[in-house]
Amino acid sequence: MNDELNKMFNMTDEELFAPVDHNELESEKITAPRYSYWRSVFRVFFRNKLNIVILLLLVFIIVFAFIYPAVTHYDASVTPYLNLLDANSKHLSPSKAMNYFGRNIHWILGTGASGESTFDSIWYGSRISISLAFICAAINMTVGVLIGAVWGFSKRVDMFMTEVYNIIGNVPSILLISVLAMLFSPTFWTMVFALTVVGWLGIAYFIRTQVIIIRDREYNLASRCLGTSTFKIALKNILPFMTSVIVTMLATELPSYISTEVFLAYIGMGMSEMSLGRLIYAAEGAMVTPGWQMEFWSPVAIASVITVVLYVVGQNLGDASDPRTHM
Amino acid sequence: MGKYLVKRILHGLFSVICVVVIVMVLVYSLLDRSVIFAGDPNYSKQQNNARTTYEYSRYEAFGYVDYVNYSEYIMGLYNSGEIDDDTRKNAALIGRTPDKDSEISAEYIQKFTDSYQKQGYTVMRLDASVKTNGQIKDGGQPAVFAYRDRPLITRVVEYFTHMIFIDNVHYVPDETDIGKRGLTFTLYDPVYNPTGTEKKLAPAIIGNGTMHKYLLYFDSHFPFIHQNFATIQLGESYTVNRGIDVFTTMTESQGSYVLRTMTFPTGKVEERADDLHTATYAAGSREINLVYAEHFTDDYTNVRTHKVGMSRLGFSFVIGIISTVLAYILGLPIGLLMARFKDGILDKIGSVYIMFIIAVPSLAYIFLFKQIGGSVFHLPTLFNVDSKDKLMYILPIISLALPSVANLMKWMRRYMIDQMNSDYVKFARSGGLSETEIFTKHIWKNAAIPIVHGIPGSVIFAMTGAIITERVYSVPGAGGLLTVAINKYDNGVIVGVTLFYAILSVISIILGDVFMSMVDPRISFSEKAR
Repeated sequence: MNDELNKMFNMTDEELFAPVDHNELESEKITAPRYSYWRSVFRVFFRNKLNIVILLLLVFIIVFAFIYPAVTHYDASVTPYLNLLDANSKHLSPSKAMNYFGRNIHWILGTGASGESTFDSIWYGSRISISLAFICAAINMTVGVLIGAVWGFSKRVDMFMTEVYNIIGNVPSILLISVLAMLFSPTFWTMVFALTVVGWLGIAYFIRTQVIIIRDREYNLASRCLGTSTFKIALKNILPFMTSVIVTMLATELPSYISTEVFLAYIGMGMSEMSLGRLIYAAEGAMVTPGWQMEFWSPVAIASVITVVLYVVGQNLGDASDPRTHM
Repeated sequence: MGKYLVKRILHGLFSVICVVVIVMVLVYSLLDRSVIFAGDPNYSKQQNNARTTYEYSRYEAFGYVDYVNYSEYIMGLYNSGEIDDDTRKNAALIGRTPDKDSEISAEYIQKFTDSYQKQGYTVMRLDASVKTNGQIKDGGQPAVFAYRDRPLITRVVEYFTHMIFIDNVHYVPDETDIGKRGLTFTLYDPVYNPTGTEKKLAPAIIGNGTMHKYLLYFDSHFPFIHQNFATIQLGESYTVNRGIDVFTTMTESQGSYVLRTMTFPTGKVEERADDLHTATYAAGSREINLVYAEHFTDDYTNVRTHKVGMSRLGFSFVIGIISTVLAYILGLPIGLLMARFKDGILDKIGSVYIMFIIAVPSLAYIFLFKQIGGSVFHLPTLFNVDSKDKLMYILPIISLALPSVANLMKWMRRYMIDQMNSDYVKFARSGGLSETEIFTKHIWKNAAIPIVHGIPGSVIFAMTGAIITERVYSVPGAGGLLTVAINKYDNGVIVGVTLFYAILSVISIILGDVFMSMVDPRISFSEKAR
């Protein structure tokens, strides 16, 4: 067989086969395919085509909610009242509004109680509601995760914080929010304050439970025996475990702030800005009047779409960030 | 177990007290108290000094301050016999400015100032506000009064000590002559035997000098035997339901009156809705009001009335309990089937439903449901207290069940799937049991344990009602009470309702743990078993 090879390539044995150096260092290395956590997360996430569609929809809604009012120079103190004196412009259905004002994107959802464009109002409202959700979620998640981690680790903190949680959890949140709204004026930032002042507590409690579950697992015990510092255990052993939990939680938290805001506005405790909740509250009477329903259902529909999209994207990202799905 | 329970209950009581303290700080100390005048039509009518005294009397009514007017003080002295009528008349006259006081009134104003300043009050004297022609302006009469902010500690201690009122024969002030004080037991309740001739057997305990006339009696309403020895007082309402305790507000019947021919103690027969058993003492009411004099032989004239509808708690509880039962009946089997046929068609539909309920604001789907129920199924969408129509309950019940079904489905599926990979399931499978057997006999029992923990809570909180559902369908339940109280600055109701909720939540958590340890013998709360 060697002869055949020699003939075929016209080479000698020495030329064909060269001994390879035995490298001590190389032999110690374990070869495995390169694994990047976040790349795998996004690979798994984008494997599902539905996710791409929903993510695009989410990006579109957010970008549109921020760009559209800016492009049309929507001014909350002026724009809604431009047609206030025009009695014929109020509560128009889309087709009537189109006939009255001419074909324009502003009028495709008709007009509201003061002759304003429903389409413009709901996008301005979406901008406020989305901002509120993102700001509150950012604050609550950061504070909640940090405090929750400490809460789970330290037994002394646990005793104290569980007591605080039991007490604060029994103070009705509506009362707290309305007291804050009355103390300061009910502006956007008051609402942020009201939703975050005790909002982190629930998140921290959840994280605490998760930390306690993972804290006493064998591999952490081993780490501690080997003398790893608590900080490093928290950062390297526990935090990666928590990523998917945190992302899944974010998926429920983000839409929940929009829902809460809608709820508070509906019971008359919302903020003064024309958010989606305020729009729904203001148009509640229009729901039962034939021909006016569009005013009520448009903000309800856009609020539902935003919350559903946020939730689905967050849930699927949470699933994708669980390393067990990275096969 | 018993020791552990006692410890838990004490712990719960402690957190309830903390909650009440926090709420009191929130509503009494942090809030700007002048907001109570925003919706008060009388306030703008008052002028000058009268407005100031009106403000303080209002603050007292809302529970912010203790307030004593000088004329009340003089009247008090007169009533207790310390001064005679002449002195009273002279002392009550306040001069336009301090130097214009008569000798006698200056003396009593000084006494008033001294005695109240000793108790930590601030005494204020408002001089008359006079027009240029020397006449006193509208509401500009001089005034002397004392006030002090009620300290938090006294407020909390007073609240809890007054929470359970034990009726006693000294309730009516001892000066008042109401005949022989005491409790009498009778076999023939005078309400059923108004003329004293028919001998209808109905035992009752009747008090004289007590707050309630009937301390123990029987009637045809659930729970048939009623007592008034101890009554719960959660806090007096001021604006929501004037002068009535929160607990009564929640438990008294609503709607239109149930009229029937009845004989009053005086023998007068009339068509009224009064419930004579609820009579409480109202001092001097027969002198002031002739109607009372015609009907009653004593001053126990303050009666509640029979109404057709249930109480706020009643409506909330009926709707809440049915929807809770419905949620468990639907949610658990569906969640079980979703886990059993994971990734099947039912699992997919169920997941979409769960996602919809969790993500979409509750307001949105309740309104959507109301719209569909009203226009497609022609069900009544508004609640009518007086109506006996059972159909009007359907939409609120289902609306309330929608989110609980989703929640139960979600957790049932989660717990079942978690159990599916346990060793005992693999063992059962290797033993040759069918999948259905494994699911219904083994996994279900283990997965239901955490679900059981939530049952007492969902039953108890069915009582408190749901804010949105009750508002959307205009159900006269207990759900909106807190928001109404907040909007009307009714501090007594706010504190009372919060306390009520806090107690319920403490009870439901403790009961949940007890239930769980009953269902699962592995869970034990006694120290030894650990």
